[in-house]
Amino acid sequence: MFDLAIFGQHLLNGVLIGCAYALIAIGLTMIFGVMNIANFAHGEFYMLGGFAAFYLVSLLKLNYFIALPVAVLLVLALAVAIQQAIFKRLRDAPVMTTTLVTIGLSILLEHVALLLWGPQPQVVPTPFPTRPLSFFGIYTTPLYLFSMAVTAALIVVGHVLIQRTRMGKAMRATFQNREAAALVGVRIDRVYLYAFAFGAALAAAAGAVLGGFIPVEPTMGGIATLKAFVVVILGGMGSFVGAIVGGLLLGLAEALGAGYFSSGWKDAIGFVAVILLLLFRPDGLFKRA
Amino acid sequence: MFIGIVLAGLLMVPLAVRDEYYLHLFIVSAIFVVVALGLNLIVGYVGQLSLAHAAFFALGAYVSALLFFKLKWSMWVGMPAAAIVTGCVAFALGWVILRVRGHRFVIITVAFAEIMRLVATNWVDLTRGFMGLPGLQIPALYVPGIGAIDVSSKERFYYVVLAAAVLSFYICYRLVRSPVGRAFVLVRENEVLAESLGLSAFRYCMIAFVVGAALAGAAGALYGHYVGFVSPDLFNFSYITIMLIMVILGGKGTLIGPALGAVVFTFLPELLRDAAQYRMVIFAGILVVATLFMPRGIIFPLVEHLAPRRWRKNHGAA
Repeated sequence: MFDLAIFGQHLLNGVLIGCAYALIAIGLTMIFGVMNIANFAHGEFYMLGGFAAFYLVSLLKLNYFIALPVAVLLVLALAVAIQQAIFKRLRDAPVMTTTLVTIGLSILLEHVALLLWGPQPQVVPTPFPTRPLSFFGIYTTPLYLFSMAVTAALIVVGHVLIQRTRMGKAMRATFQNREAAALVGVRIDRVYLYAFAFGAALAAAAGAVLGGFIPVEPTMGGIATLKAFVVVILGGMGSFVGAIVGGLLLGLAEALGAGYFSSGWKDAIGFVAVILLLLFRPDGLFKRA
Repeated sequence: MFIGIVLAGLLMVPLAVRDEYYLHLFIVSAIFVVVALGLNLIVGYVGQLSLAHAAFFALGAYVSALLFFKLKWSMWVGMPAAAIVTGCVAFALGWVILRVRGHRFVIITVAFAEIMRLVATNWVDLTRGFMGLPGLQIPALYVPGIGAIDVSSKERFYYVVLAAAVLSFYICYRLVRSPVGRAFVLVRENEVLAESLGLSAFRYCMIAFVVGAALAGAAGALYGHYVGFVSPDLFNFSYITIMLIMVILGGKGTLIGPALGAVVFTFLPELLRDAAQYRMVIFAGILVVATLFMPRGIIFPLVEHLAPRRWRKNHGAA
């Protein structure tokens, strides 16, 4: 029996998780498009954002709404350091080198987190009441709505920054043709730095906000990276809008797949789609031939 | 001469090492020599970064385990069967993915490995999911004319895995020293040039991919029967990481390097047991630093440095 309320519930969950996927994937696709690096350590920024928010709120007793931006800034600082220490050296390096370095970095960050904070999952304490809200038989919580609003707002802000600012323009130029961009005076090193830091900050924001209901643990970065890769490939490598649409699409597909098919197999949807897409539509779902 | 001394030394190991635990490490090392040599064919010789290798290893373990439980096939049949099945899967996968290169290739191999993990986890009727398949055994070896030899003790099983390691080293040695091996290197160094000489990059990548996967499958079967338990944990990302560390730090594109890398990076984590929580941090750090600053790895350059000049001339990196 088809129940509209249950369908709506799956849709809502799908959109929320899709916004999170999009937020993580935007950074990955930018680093990919601008620097030509498949950053396997990207999901670790998501994990670090979650831990930063958790410790700021629970240990330092910081106000939740102040802790979120502070957590993002902390991860941003770390991302700048990593960019300067490691990614700067990866310019023009072969795929083998860049991928191995980012895999190593991913394992490194994961195990440092394990060392510092232990394996137990943590939930970021939030000031929101936990009582569920109901609209037309669809249940949600204030925290869900807040998370959805924040992730959606950040996606819009990111889009505006890329489209309207000088740096955004420089990033798009670098993506289109790096040599030509350098020739007209775009400072490529700075573009790399900004793209990397910006992407890391968005992933950290996703981790901090979602940490309120998805437990934060050191191993969560790995699966986040893989999901973000799926989104990047759905939307086309390097495409900002593609990452947004791809994220929503994957979130919806997984929510509906889990709801109507099997929650164990839902993760396979994205990976199968990736293999098929890379073979038949390597530029993503939306690019016109 | 030199090879004779090394082989004699390897044969003496169970006599010299009475400690069960160290013997265990020698056995695991030998199994990972097979894995690392296989991965090296793909990563080191044709230069494609495959992250599906650990999935082939796990697939081999599952194939042999399932043949053992469902059809009562012993490991001596199960292991070659595992090699054949993983080789065939690699062929089918390679048929579609070896047409793409670079990032796409890497990402598809990850996606494949994840799908395999999900199958092992979710196809509960076949694989029992998270519960895994416990109770695998090492069967006796029937030799015509001699009869059954029990190889289930560590001392004896060591010779089985040693034979597997030596055999795979020999296979890889013959392969990379043949015209096929030279074609591998040309494909890695300059694919356009290789194609212009009429050497199909697709074909040589396929050979490396299938042989490498078959070795991983055979090693997986040995590993499954040795530890007696097969579960979806075998698909963990940590396996591919450690395999890559063995090959890259050993010295990709050489044979001695990855083989020694497998031994060193089986023993090293155990010697660092007191610092257990630091060891992945250390290894990952080494992987990052070595990839950036020591593209030839660590172990092979050391070996090369110590070896006599005549050897260096004949056995340098391809």
